Amino acid sequence: MNKMAQSMIAVYVQTDGSMVEPTSLQLITKARAIANGQRVVALLPTSDADQTVATVKQYGPDEILVLADDRFAAATDTEIADGLYQVVEQVQPNSMLIPATVVGRSVAPRLQAKLQTGLTADCLDVYFDGDTLVQVKPTYGDDIMCEIICADRRPQMATVRPNVFQAEPAQAATQVTNVDFEFHPEAHIKMEKPTPIISSSANISDASVVIALGRGADNPQLIEKAQKLAARLGGMVGVSRPLTDHAEFGHESQIGQSGQSIAPDLLINFGISGATQYLVGIENAKTIVSVNTDPDAPIFTKSDYAYVGDANDFMDALLSSTRV
Amino acid sequence: MKIVVCIKQVPKSDSVKIDPKTNNMVRDNVEGVINPFDKNAIEEALRIKDQLGGEVILLSMGPDGYMSSLRDGLAMGADRAILLSSRAFGGADTLATGYPISQAIKKIGGVDLVLLGRQSVDADTGQVGPIVAEYLNVPQVTFAEELRFVDEHTLYGQRLLDGATQSVQVTLPAVVMVRSELNTPRYETPVNIQTSFEKPIDVWTEHDLDLDATRIGQAGSPTTVQKVYAPKREGRQTVQLSDDSATAVKELLARIRN
Ligand SMILES: Cc1cc2nc3c(=O)[nH]c(=O)nc-3n(C[C@H](O)[C@H](O)[C@H](O)COP(=O)(O)OP(=O)(O)OC[C@H]3O[C@@H](n4cnc5c(N)ncnc54)[C@H](O)[C@@H]3O)c2cc1C
Ligand SMILES: Cc1cc2nc3c(=O)[nH]c(=O)nc-3n(C[C@H](O)[C@H](O)[C@H](O)COP(=O)(O)OP(=O)(O)OC[C@H]3O[C@@H](n4cnc5c(N)ncnc54)[C@H](O)[C@@H]3O)c2cc1C
Repeated sequence: MNKMAQSMIAVYVQTDGSMVEPTSLQLITKARAIANGQRVVALLPTSDADQTVATVKQYGPDEILVLADDRFAAATDTEIADGLYQVVEQVQPNSMLIPATVVGRSVAPRLQAKLQTGLTADCLDVYFDGDTLVQVKPTYGDDIMCEIICADRRPQMATVRPNVFQAEPAQAATQVTNVDFEFHPEAHIKMEKPTPIISSSANISDASVVIALGRGADNPQLIEKAQKLAARLGGMVGVSRPLTDHAEFGHESQIGQSGQSIAPDLLINFGISGATQYLVGIENAKTIVSVNTDPDAPIFTKSDYAYVGDANDFMDALLSSTRV
Repeated sequence: MKIVVCIKQVPKSDSVKIDPKTNNMVRDNVEGVINPFDKNAIEEALRIKDQLGGEVILLSMGPDGYMSSLRDGLAMGADRAILLSSRAFGGADTLATGYPISQAIKKIGGVDLVLLGRQSVDADTGQVGPIVAEYLNVPQVTFAEELRFVDEHTLYGQRLLDGATQSVQVTLPAVVMVRSELNTPRYETPVNIQTSFEKPIDVWTEHDLDLDATRIGQAGSPTTVQKVYAPKREGRQTVQLSDDSATAVKELLARIRN
């Protein structure tokens, strides 16, 4: 392999044994879009090279560097970071994109520490300014974004939030290379294969209808009605951050910057004010309806339909007109 | 069992402002509290201590104002606290935060378990834990929603992935980052608040640690915030629905159905 190859964007492709995690493919598409002459290279630790390489190829990276080892079916964060480190040291990418999934966010900082470079968390966008990867992430408070750069060290690393970019199949003469690396089993820890959570196998990020509840709709009756409405419309209930205190709404149900980005055909917001951290999660919703007692609530400026009034009244009216 | 709990102080309010000229947070009048996930970490440490005995040490890096959060953590029942505080540590990104924290843990010595929150609620990176684990060269369990001791040296944990759970068994020493599902943090009691003032908070500067001076503070941070701005978000053309809810729903359904 040519060490001094032209500048390269590496994408960590997360796999779970034989399945490729979807954000990884979204990042290959994004990397191709911003590459501007740089090579887009997928780093693929996998226990099932045939199947995962076939999947990744469909998205047209210039090269796939395969780290093949059966033990990647249930590897620890450290083992994955160690494998990636060996490859990154060989190919010296200019920048590296990593899915901001739980695994990605656990592996990336460990790799960062090995490489002694910068890592920006949970980006909503990345673009090049010359050789510099500008990493865009939302930040505290109202309507504030920040751009973070890593001026002097390489690779420039960023984890990127799931579902902010769409994966698009692409044709390319993808080169597939089995890289030299050694799997170093980590002592003192044993990871099992992940067990899918059956109850939330349906994910709000894939739902076509989302009924979203905020602090202004935080009562048991309304929650129950929302669940009924969602079931009738074939949708799901999502929440703003304050409601994740409830046992029935985990992090998986949270919409927004530190939760999920959603893209339903129809989103109905009940009692949500529209903080920036919430709004970044709903930008890709097609039709947005919002219900709020405050006519000046920021959520209305991002809505197609506004109902100024009580969440419960509107919910009841919806339920009675959608009765089957 | 010697347990270190890393805690960060975060602004109480959700809406901290950033000064667009200096790119710095406007911290005036913003009350600081313990990062909520770090309270779960303290709670877990106290439960482990109740079960297995030992010592719970709080560790934080930040300005003197962080003392109030350490005091709160002591009032929950931790034994002692250490604050890494010096101008030299200021402006650190996650890499330059994880490094002095890991050096402090080495200095404390004989630590079996390091607990952290899954992420801070302000900067939200979740990067400090894995960085500390890498520098200490020990296994990590991130996003733990369940923890249980199998025996005195072996911890069973379950972590929550995106749409899956994963079981893990680890022999100490280890670094664990906890989710809020793990437990419900206890309240401070008047007695504990009283005794917390008798518990020591040591302040360590860069001179108290074995440190490579080029790896701390702003100078030791590879990342810089180059710009902070208010995004131009596309507003939507908003149709105002009638005040009467039944009429409003009719209007809505008529429009979105065709
Ligand atoms: C780093 C960081 C990350 C964050 N990430 C997220 C995130 O991912 N997701 C998220 O949601 N938040 C996030 N937040 C929190 C965010 O800033 C807001 O605090 C939160 O979104 C507010 O939730 P809300 O709109 O439900 O509550 P509030 O802001 O309290 O709004 C409640 C609304 O309900 C209305 N209301 C009251 N009563 C009624 C009624 N009877 N009928 C109808 N309307 C009524 C009120 O007028 C008000 O507009 C984050 C914050 C930070 C600092
Ligand atoms: C708006 C904004 C965005 C930022 N984005 C990035 C970024 O993308 N990349 C980057 O490298 N830096 C970033 N930083 C810098 C980063 O916030 C600091 O390095 C911070 O000290 C640690 O990161 P964190 O708050 O994300 O902690 P996290 O890694 O989210 O915290 C996880 C856990 O680590 C422990 N911990 C964290 N900080 C401390 C501390 N000071 N003392 C003791 N324990 C602690 C706590 O247990 C906490 O629950 C950002 C800062 C700001 C203001």
